[in-house]
Amino acid sequence: MNDIVIHTENLVKTYRRYKKAEGLWGSIASLWKRNYEEKTAVNRMDLSVREGEFIGLIGPNGAGKTTLIKMLTGIIAPTDGKIDVLGYYPNDLQNEFKKQYAVVMGQKSQLFFELTVNDTLRLFKEIYEISEQEFQRNKHYFVKLFGVEELMDVQVRTLSLGERMKMELIVALLHNPRILFLDEPTIGLDAVAAKQIRAFLKEINEKNGTTILLTSHYMEDIQVLCQRTVVVNHGVKIYDGSTEELFDRYQKNKRIIASFGKPMRKLLLETKDARLAEDTPYKKVYEVPRESARWLLAELMKYEPGDIVVEEEEIGVIAERIYQEGSEYLG
Amino acid sequence: MKKNDKRSGKKAKTDINVNRKRTIKKNMCVLRELFYLRMHGLMVFRLDFLAPFFVDGSLFVIQLLAFGAVYSHVDVIGGWGRGEMILYIGTFSLLNAVNMTVYFFGVNSIPYKVRSGELDLYLSKPVSPLFRLTFENISPGSVPLILMSLCIVAYGICTLRMPLTLPVVISYGFWVLVMTVLYYELEVVIRSVSLYVVSMARLEQIEEAGLELCMKLPGIAFYGVYKVIFYLILPYGIMATLPVQSMIGEMNLQTAAYGIGVVALFTAVTAALWTQGLKHYNSASS
Repeated sequence: MNDIVIHTENLVKTYRRYKKAEGLWGSIASLWKRNYEEKTAVNRMDLSVREGEFIGLIGPNGAGKTTLIKMLTGIIAPTDGKIDVLGYYPNDLQNEFKKQYAVVMGQKSQLFFELTVNDTLRLFKEIYEISEQEFQRNKHYFVKLFGVEELMDVQVRTLSLGERMKMELIVALLHNPRILFLDEPTIGLDAVAAKQIRAFLKEINEKNGTTILLTSHYMEDIQVLCQRTVVVNHGVKIYDGSTEELFDRYQKNKRIIASFGKPMRKLLLETKDARLAEDTPYKKVYEVPRESARWLLAELMKYEPGDIVVEEEEIGVIAERIYQEGSEYLG
Repeated sequence: MKKNDKRSGKKAKTDINVNRKRTIKKNMCVLRELFYLRMHGLMVFRLDFLAPFFVDGSLFVIQLLAFGAVYSHVDVIGGWGRGEMILYIGTFSLLNAVNMTVYFFGVNSIPYKVRSGELDLYLSKPVSPLFRLTFENISPGSVPLILMSLCIVAYGICTLRMPLTLPVVISYGFWVLVMTVLYYELEVVIRSVSLYVVSMARLEQIEEAGLELCMKLPGIAFYGVYKVIFYLILPYGIMATLPVQSMIGEMNLQTAAYGIGVVALFTAVTAALWTQGLKHYNSASS
């Protein structure tokens, strides 16, 4: 059984935010009396992560994902509760602790834009006290893995978003961290770059045994990479378990696309609980509950379609359903 | 039993020393890399690299002309004549030049890094965030200002026709060093406020006004409430005054103890304010 590297109990983070009445009088009144409201970003969060796990942390904007990562990395202090990462209280900001993890934030770069990645790596070598031998070995390994040999000596500002994210990961992985926190690493990337990044992360997790905690708005990242998913909404954990089971539970419908060689004005079939999502003379698209898909297919076959495609529901729709229904459904 | 305690105590002490040495060595290596990165960064754009030499030099000359205009019609200020005042201006310029060269641009970026949430990237790295922030924006373009300031100091010494002995030079150098630390701490203290409150623009203006005044008037010219303000609350008044007093033989034991006391006090205040500030840091939402 692997060791637990992250453990939180009843973890809470509340922020105080200033509220002002509309207009000039509101501003003047606020000079004397300030109204604050408390916002609970993370509410009584219990979480345990074993070494080597690849965990997805999902939730809508403002759900508390990034706040949780910031607490786990020590960037901010929790308001209440217990937190233990690799045996340390993160907000003590001990260097020995910081040497054992890395954090990549999709919206904040640790690279120097005017300089080359090779220049930047030297600074991180000294910061993490990496020996020259290890530095060269790791650098060559990751540069080869990410296929960026040609890009190491060009200015960071000239790199594409996808290339830059690869560089961010190289910088983060240079010191062989035990835990890698990734906050939306594929944000803004095109499909090809996102796929490449996913492949690298999978390899790093499997080959190096690095524990990875990933937040992403792209459900594909989570579905492809994470064995386990934690869903948070309004700071509360609403699901913690197998990713497969989560998608299985919320993937309620299938899309059936039937194409016809001749125009079909109207299909006289009993659609039951299926919904006609798109209706053109040559193409009919149905959304149907998974359990009724077989029946609908049989019905459609009676009209001898030229082609018939059965698709899983769009991942974005599933995400919406998880967030909307999650709290009630999963309790 | 006692022998064992003694032995373990000695071992703990040795471990602390080893760790301290290791940290110093590491910080030196990080400092070297920060310096290289800064140089690489500045040299990417030639104008960025060369312009400060001219801009800072021009500002320095303008400042000197202003001082010249003020002091050409004044014989004595707080008991100090022309020679002492030249020495004072040279010393203040020297402190300012060291500040501009080594840490000003780094420390000055703290409020922005707090507001934008960039501080996150410093907090998650195994090196003191303040150390990295302090030294990551070294400005080689301000080095000529140090040389020009030293020339003014030399001119002041010539005007005073005072004999320059090694103990005097060492004492002066020591006080310049101590006051450089005080200057740094004052800058950090003011900018650390950004960790507690969002807006702190007015505080920076107080700093500017205090510096501007104390650059023109030596500490010995202040009396009453002004002395309390510029000798204790915002001790810009002692920054160039004490090194000059040490050089011209006006420093007594009491003044020296006071100077060291103020620096020690501000070291403690800076450390506490920064450390507690990091606990208050809420990071900008991304």
